[in-house]
Amino acid sequence: MLQFVLKRLLLAVPTLLGVTILTFVLLHLAPGNLAQTLAGENASRAQVARITHELGLDRPIYEQYGIWLGKLVHGDLGFSYRRQAPVISLIAERIGRTLLLMGSALLLSIAVAVPLGVYQAVRRNTLFDRAASALVFVAWSMPTFWFGTILIAIFAVNLRWSPVGGMQTIDTISFDWPSRLAHLILPAITLAIVSLAGWSRYIRGSMVEQLQEDYTRTATAKGLPATAVLFRHTLRNALIPFITLLGGTIPALFGGAVITEQIFAYPGMGQLFWQSATDRDYFTLLGMTVITAVLVILGNLLADVLYGVVDPRVRYD
Amino acid sequence: MIEGRRTRVEPIAAAGILWIALALLACWLAPLLFHIDAYATDVAHAYAQPGGAHWLGTDGLGRDELARLLIGGRITLSVGIVAALVAMLIGTIYGALSGYYGGWFDSILMRVVDVFLSVPTLFLLLFLAALFNGSVLTLMLVIGFTAWLGPSRLVRGEVLTLKERLYVEAARAAGAGDWRIIFRHVVPNAMGTIITTTTFMVASAMLAETALSYLGIGIRLPMPSWGNLLSGAQSDIFARAYWLILPPGFAILITVCAFNFVGDWLREKQT
Repeated sequence: MLQFVLKRLLLAVPTLLGVTILTFVLLHLAPGNLAQTLAGENASRAQVARITHELGLDRPIYEQYGIWLGKLVHGDLGFSYRRQAPVISLIAERIGRTLLLMGSALLLSIAVAVPLGVYQAVRRNTLFDRAASALVFVAWSMPTFWFGTILIAIFAVNLRWSPVGGMQTIDTISFDWPSRLAHLILPAITLAIVSLAGWSRYIRGSMVEQLQEDYTRTATAKGLPATAVLFRHTLRNALIPFITLLGGTIPALFGGAVITEQIFAYPGMGQLFWQSATDRDYFTLLGMTVITAVLVILGNLLADVLYGVVDPRVRYD
Repeated sequence: MIEGRRTRVEPIAAAGILWIALALLACWLAPLLFHIDAYATDVAHAYAQPGGAHWLGTDGLGRDELARLLIGGRITLSVGIVAALVAMLIGTIYGALSGYYGGWFDSILMRVVDVFLSVPTLFLLLFLAALFNGSVLTLMLVIGFTAWLGPSRLVRGEVLTLKERLYVEAARAAGAGDWRIIFRHVVPNAMGTIITTTTFMVASAMLAETALSYLGIGIRLPMPSWGNLLSGAQSDIFARAYWLILPPGFAILITVCAFNFVGDWLREKQT
């Protein structure tokens, strides 16, 4: 087991190196003078010259990459001249908020998708199943920001049940849990909706398959109550491949967070990524991409390990 | 695979095909048959209610909403279709070469896919769209360039089994080169998977256009697209022009649903 985890971590190193090369190449595809862009339009010549020198932009590209990678290994993601702060502290300030949002959305998706998919599979081809399938299909095909806006229009503007956006009510300076939670509900629902739709379709499909397997028939034939067959036998088998699916959803959740945070003015990583993309704060973009890739790779590793915990047939060789 | 679905899905898929055909016809033919102008402003008649001279009303600058919906449909549908074709072209060639040659070549190519997949697609889209802001064509290419990873894995998987078939061996015995075997014998037999995936790709590329337009780096005004009509309509709610949010919203929703229905049906027909 430990050996498997170590081996996978070792395999993650080239992937991560690939990510740094990919983003670095993309960065240098940018038209115009990089130092000028980084410094901003109002920067003086001296500032531009200083940045050029600091980043070694006058040297060949592989040396620039070496300099940047060397700093990266030491935990230095560079400096955002736009925001006048080290990239690492910009990310550190926001990453917890985005992970909280993503975690809530993930839990919400699972909490709705699994029971819905199971119930649909048990009552398959009934009116309920068809209506739920249709609804899920609509949710799957809907622009996220449209759904988020509808939620705001109904629950925040009309019913006033929930705040419109932000992270907590502005007049409270200290950390305020109830307010934070109230600000999290609508964004989490918005972020959850896409994965929820895909997963309930998936669970329904694999439950229907498992319900027709011989072992299910055997369990029923030997007189087990229907709920025991369903939860102890069928659902366990249906959930095994679902774990891999969970690991693979992490990048989509990060992407979804960009849009969700934009709709609800939620000050997380997604918002920072969008802002940096619009004002061309390249080192912030680069830093966030690398950090996200690390999280995605760790998430996939975790899914692989969990897979083995749930399915005893898997051997780690 | 899923019992009893076949008979149920087919009429829905037929409805999907019908809707797509109608949408294509309406967006490309209607502006030719009737005189409409998606750019003519008429501030005196801003936010006109639906009905009368303007079937779907007008927007904040008095532009005809129906005209903008149809011209915007041209943009969004062509972005969806072209981006999907770009993604499938890259994905098919990449996946076919990787699967066919196998070995270390395959491992390296698949590692590269892993690298791309560790970066959220929307991050890549934002990164690229920020670098190459501009025309409809670059948007198509940018969306296509970020969407080929899934297809390349699917095609590779298919090619891995297809290359062991007898007809491949027969072609090789007859002296066909690798290139000919891949693109004349293997890829045509993977066409089912390729067409099914393309259908889903069109749907997700259309959603990518709306997301990018919402974030302000997709199709730029005054050119209309379903994405920027929808995001523009959100601020029109405050001007009490709530009806403007319905036409682009339903146009996107129904068209994306239609492509997904057709894709679903094609996938089930295969198995």
